[in-house]
Amino acid sequence: MSDEISPIGSIRISPRAIATIAYHAARQSYGVVGLTSKNLVNGLARVLVKDPTHGVEVHFDGQTITIDLYVIIEYGTRIKSVASSVSNTVRFSVEKAIGMPVREVNVHVRGLRISDLD
Amino acid sequence: MSSEITGNPPSHPVNPLRKYPIDGQVLKELTEAGLTWLRTNQQIVNSLNVFPVPDGDTGTNMVLTLQSALAEVNNSSERNSGKVAHAIAHGALMGARGNSGVILSQLWRGFARALDNQEYIDGPSLVRAFAMGRDTAYKGVVRPVEGTILTVAKDIAAAAEQSLKTTDDPYDILTLVVPAADLSVQHTPELLPVLKDAGVVDSGGKGLFFFLEGMVRYINGLSLETPAAAVRPLSAMNLEQAMETVEPGQDFEVVIDFRPNRELDIESFYATLQEMGTSIQVGEGDGLYRMHIHVPTEKIYHPIDYTRTLGTVTKVAIENLMAQMEQQESVAKYDFPAVEPGQIAVVAVAPGPGIGRVFASLGVAAIVEGGQTMNPSTQEILRAFENLPTDKVIILPNNKNIILAARTAAEMTVKKVRVVPSRSVPQGLAAMMRLAPDESLDVVAEEMTAALDEVQTGEITIATRSVEIDGVSVQEGQVIALHNGKLICSAGSLEEACLCLLKAARAETYELITLFYGVDIARQEVNRIVDIIRSAYPDQVIEVQDGGQPHYQFIIAIE
Repeated sequence: MSDEISPIGSIRISPRAIATIAYHAARQSYGVVGLTSKNLVNGLARVLVKDPTHGVEVHFDGQTITIDLYVIIEYGTRIKSVASSVSNTVRFSVEKAIGMPVREVNVHVRGLRISDLD
Repeated sequence: MSSEITGNPPSHPVNPLRKYPIDGQVLKELTEAGLTWLRTNQQIVNSLNVFPVPDGDTGTNMVLTLQSALAEVNNSSERNSGKVAHAIAHGALMGARGNSGVILSQLWRGFARALDNQEYIDGPSLVRAFAMGRDTAYKGVVRPVEGTILTVAKDIAAAAEQSLKTTDDPYDILTLVVPAADLSVQHTPELLPVLKDAGVVDSGGKGLFFFLEGMVRYINGLSLETPAAAVRPLSAMNLEQAMETVEPGQDFEVVIDFRPNRELDIESFYATLQEMGTSIQVGEGDGLYRMHIHVPTEKIYHPIDYTRTLGTVTKVAIENLMAQMEQQESVAKYDFPAVEPGQIAVVAVAPGPGIGRVFASLGVAAIVEGGQTMNPSTQEILRAFENLPTDKVIILPNNKNIILAARTAAEMTVKKVRVVPSRSVPQGLAAMMRLAPDESLDVVAEEMTAALDEVQTGEITIATRSVEIDGVSVQEGQVIALHNGKLICSAGSLEEACLCLLKAARAETYELITLFYGVDIARQEVNRIVDIIRSAYPDQVIEVQDGGQPHYQFIIAIE
C-alpha cells in the first residue's frame, strides 16, 4: 500500500510488512514483554500474540505512516519512559527499513505483566 | 582505560572505608561516588551514539536517573543496607529517563530485592544482588538484545560469582568486577553489528561501567572529578561543552597545540595538569596534541611553560571565561510581553538564546531552554507556565523529542493547556504567526497546528559518526542536511549542504528563507554562505538571524 514510483517501476510495501518490522522492533525494546490484540478485552488482553498484525496497526494516508502499538509492559518499570523509547525504536526501525517518514507511533499500554521475582 | 585500578588487592593507600562493613550509609556513599564518576565522564558516554546527529544523551539520562535515585536517600540516616537499596531503587524507578535509565532502574530493583532486610552487604549477598539485578533486568524484555547494557550486567554478575572463589570481601569483589565490566563493554561491538558499523561501544554499558568504576575509585581514594585520561581524536574534542562547567576561580581557558618530542606519558601528563586546573581534555591527531584546561588567573602561563618542556608548542589560545559567561548571561535575557489574565500565553522551547529572543519578539510569554541534546523535563516546562497570570496556555515544544514531555506537563496542571506539536523551530515560529491571545483556546490551538505545515524546516549540522541512514552515506566530520527531520544529503562544506537542502525543499517555489545560525559558526562565515545562497536564489527574500543554538550550524525556515 505504501507506494513509491521510480523510473524502473513501482515499489509497494504492504502494511503487513511494515507491521512485522514494527512488531520486531517493539519486542526488542526494553520493558515491552509482549504485544496484544486491540480487540480483546480485559483478562483476555493478557494473551500475548505471536502474529504481528494483531498487536500492531498500520495506517497509510498516501504520504505518511501512522502506527498503533498495543503492548504489555513489565510491571515496575517507568511506563512513560518505556513507552517513549518503544515509540522511538519503532519509528527508527521502520524509517530505516523502508525509507519513508513515519508520522506517528501511538503506544497503547494494554496491561502490565507482574513477573514473579522470588 | 583506568588500568590503575585493575588487579587484585589494591596497591594504593587503602581508604579507611574498607574497614567498615557495607551498611546503608556506605552503600549510599558508594552510589554517590559512582554517580559523581559517571557525571564526570558523562560526555564520553554521550558521544557513543549510533546516529549521525548529535543527540546522544545516554550519559545524561543515566546521570539524571541516578540523581533521582540518590535524592531518595540523601537525607536518610538509615543503616540497614536493604532498606537503603530499596529506597534507591524506588528513586531510580521514579526518575528513570530513556532506555538506559529504565534498565538501570531495573538493575537496582533486582539488586535491592536480593538484600531484603539485610543489615550489611557481605560478599555472598553482593554476588546474589548482582545476579538478581541481572535477572530482573532481563525479565523486562521478551527478546533481549545482546551487546547492550544487559550483556554488561550479565558479565558483571558472572564475574562476581567467579570472584567468590577467591574472596568473600565485598570490596574485593567490587574491585574484581570492574575490569570484567570494562572487558564486556569492549566486546559489545562483536555482539551488536550496529555498534560495530558506527565504530562505538554500547553507551549504556559504558555508563554502567563508569558507575561501578566510580565506586572502586572511591574505595581506593582516587579522584572522582577528573575525567578518565582518554585521548580522543582531535575532531571529537568538545570544547563548547567544557565551557558549561566553569567553576569560579578557574577563570581562564587555555588551549595549547603541541608536538611532543618523545612518546607522551598520558597518565603523568594528566597528573601534572590536574595540579594546575580543571576541565582537562587532551586530543591527538597525526602526532599533534591539543590540550584544553581551565586555570585560575595566577596560573595562566603554567600549562604553557609545562607543555614547552614536553615538546614544540605550535599554537596557544587563552580566553577569559568569566567575561564570556557574563556576556552570555547578559544576552540570554528576554523581553517578554505582559500577559493579562484570561489571555492565551504561549510557552516555547528554544534551543538557543537568539531563537528565544525571536520567539519573545513574536509574543511568547515564557521560554524553556533546551533542544536536541538537552531535552527539558516535564517539570521545567511546567515551571515555565505555572506562574503566569493566566490559565490558558499553549506549549510549542519545537522538537519531536519534547512533544511528549509537553503533553505530560499539560496533564499535570489545573490550567487549560494545549500542545501545538511543532517539531522544529521554524514550525514553532510559523505557529506563532497565528496567535490571537484573546480568542478561544481551542480555536487558536487548532489554527496554530494547521500553520505547522506551512513552513519547511532545514537543519545543517556536522555528523558525529560515520553511518548510513535513509540511503545517504555519511562520513564523520561531514556536513549533513536534514529536511523536515529526514537526512537528505552529506557534503564537504556548509554551503554545499545548504544548497542541497534548499534544492530538496524546492525553495525556488517559496518566498522567504530565514537562516538561524548557531554558536559554532563565525559571523563572517555566515555572511559568505548567505551571499552564495543569495546568488542562487535571487527571487527569494533571505533573512539571517543569530539563533545561538548549539550543534546546528544552521536552522533554516523556508516559507
